[in-house]
Amino acid sequence: MQRIFQIDGEETECWLGHDGSRFVLNTPNGTVACQLDPTGLPGGYTLRAKGVVRELRLAVGPEATFVHMNGRTYEVGRVDPAERLAGSDGGTGDDRLVAPMPGVVVSVAVKPGDTVEEGQPLLVIESMKLETTLTAPRDGVVAEMPFAEGDSFGLKDILAQLAPEEE
Amino acid sequence: MTISKLLVANRGEIAARVLRTAKARGLATAVLSHVAEQEGPAHLIADEIVMIEGPTPVAAYLDIPQIVEAAKKIGADAVHPGYGFLSENAAFVAALEEAGVTFVGPTSETIDLMGDKVRARAFVEEHGFPVAPSAIEDDDPASFVERARTVGYPLLIKPSAGGGGKGMRIVREDSTLETEIETARREGVRYFGDGRLFVECYIERPRHIEVQVMGDGQGNVVHFWERECSIQRRFQKIIEETPSPALTPEQRDEICETAAGIARAVKYRGAGTVEFIYAQDGAFYFLEMNTRLQVEHPVTELVTGFDLVAEQLRVAAGEGLSAAQADIPQTGHSIELRICAEDATADFRPAIGDILLLDEPMGEGIRVDSGILDGGKVTTDFDPMLSKLIVHGPDRAQAIARARNAVQNYVILGVTTNTGYLDEILAHPDFASGDVSTGFLAEQSETLTAPGEDVSDLLMAAAALSDERLVSDVMQIPEMHRKMGEWRN
Repeated sequence: MQRIFQIDGEETECWLGHDGSRFVLNTPNGTVACQLDPTGLPGGYTLRAKGVVRELRLAVGPEATFVHMNGRTYEVGRVDPAERLAGSDGGTGDDRLVAPMPGVVVSVAVKPGDTVEEGQPLLVIESMKLETTLTAPRDGVVAEMPFAEGDSFGLKDILAQLAPEEE
Repeated sequence: MTISKLLVANRGEIAARVLRTAKARGLATAVLSHVAEQEGPAHLIADEIVMIEGPTPVAAYLDIPQIVEAAKKIGADAVHPGYGFLSENAAFVAALEEAGVTFVGPTSETIDLMGDKVRARAFVEEHGFPVAPSAIEDDDPASFVERARTVGYPLLIKPSAGGGGKGMRIVREDSTLETEIETARREGVRYFGDGRLFVECYIERPRHIEVQVMGDGQGNVVHFWERECSIQRRFQKIIEETPSPALTPEQRDEICETAAGIARAVKYRGAGTVEFIYAQDGAFYFLEMNTRLQVEHPVTELVTGFDLVAEQLRVAAGEGLSAAQADIPQTGHSIELRICAEDATADFRPAIGDILLLDEPMGEGIRVDSGILDGGKVTTDFDPMLSKLIVHGPDRAQAIARARNAVQNYVILGVTTNTGYLDEILAHPDFASGDVSTGFLAEQSETLTAPGEDVSDLLMAAAALSDERLVSDVMQIPEMHRKMGEWRN
């Protein structure tokens, strides 16, 4: 069975199987025999993989799995490849800026029809009392700026949309 | 004026912390809450929760008439403001006085004086305490350039009406002074509609050192030693400690006595903090006085053994100070880490999310002042600081070791936090040697946010095996196909 995992923005396609006695995870780096056993602590597990044993704490969220291991916390995004195909609406991730958190638009620097370069500021948002400037993900033409100065937006709202790239 | 019922006009970890002491002193307690707010530790401690309203939760916590009315309605005879919100608002203090409710803090006159940076600086200078050499244009515009020159180089030009670093210029050579003054003036007009300027001596690689003071309002003031707060990001502290590794015993006495002297000069009442800029050559200058309890007060409590909130409540009730200066020790070393919901690798962008699992460290020499509960939500309504981890050890090296161990075992899953980043700071050799300035985090940002060991295979294995649907799908595939899966690539 296939999953795409996302760590630090990088996607890796994996295949989980079971050979009758143990789980094996096939990754682009090779095959990993692995085992996960609860320790009794809330979210506590012992992971055996790649010849190492690690105590970890783990929580499974709707879209990502959070892992605390060796004193560090990691977020592993999970994508079911079947759902990704079904949910596709034509626009690619590269075409739009999605709100990383809810907030308010402080200022808008461009309007639909404007030609922008990668890294050019599109709008400034404020969340948790901090201002953040959002920039164009690539060169292109602005298709939509759905929010005006002073508007509030929610998590994952689309803040800017570029016209699809012409082939 | 005895106090029998205390309203805490704040939220989060500081509300919980104040309530604990108030309850231990036998007071009836109440705390504010807004409908949009998650249940937090303070709500579990307070005897009573008073709901406040407002277009946003923050607006509700700043609504003076509503909060004064709330105090009267529940029969509270005192209000503790915590930090932030209305803690340094002279109008709030005056409104409480008028309503016959005791404000746990200084007088509105003191708050007014210390809240005005120019007046506060002038007051401190008049009383013979050190302020950074400076020249204020308003004093005599005609001689401004000449007076600026006598401050010496490097110097910093600031707009009088300014804030947030806008319009500030560093001048290192006399030849550029006049053109930089004109540029700063244009920027002042553009940003603040006000072109008046002042210059002050620019301190290279400064440290931020502050002193905790406590006064009875009659002119008796004691200090509770210093705190070193040079580890800052976006001009906000994230690690504080005491004692400061920079000070010799003589310098420590001098800076602490200076702070106490400033507080004595205003007949300070309650808990306050005098902040100084400390230069690499040992010179120090008054920066400002914060007329409230500070976020980082617990490090002071762990080395002195005093409960500063209990001292505040004593003073507010007219019982005076509980100790003389000679009875306030500074034992061992304490470090505080501010645990924040933010991404240190993305310019400290605030993070939000649901807390799916929370397990806070415990043990000898470990204190956690937490504002979150397992299952809670982290939203954009309030500041990203979730909790504070405070440790105490016999000396600095042992305190650092204890802090590292504790922060590594601070489990918060479901929202991005800075725990790993804090550990990287503690592990940095310059932090260990104490050789830091307020620019440390910016200078070392690449080292501190460098990717660690690649454990992605382990993480993917953990994510795959904890994915119930994936595991159940895999186990339903007939044996034959399962084996085929292995060959697939």
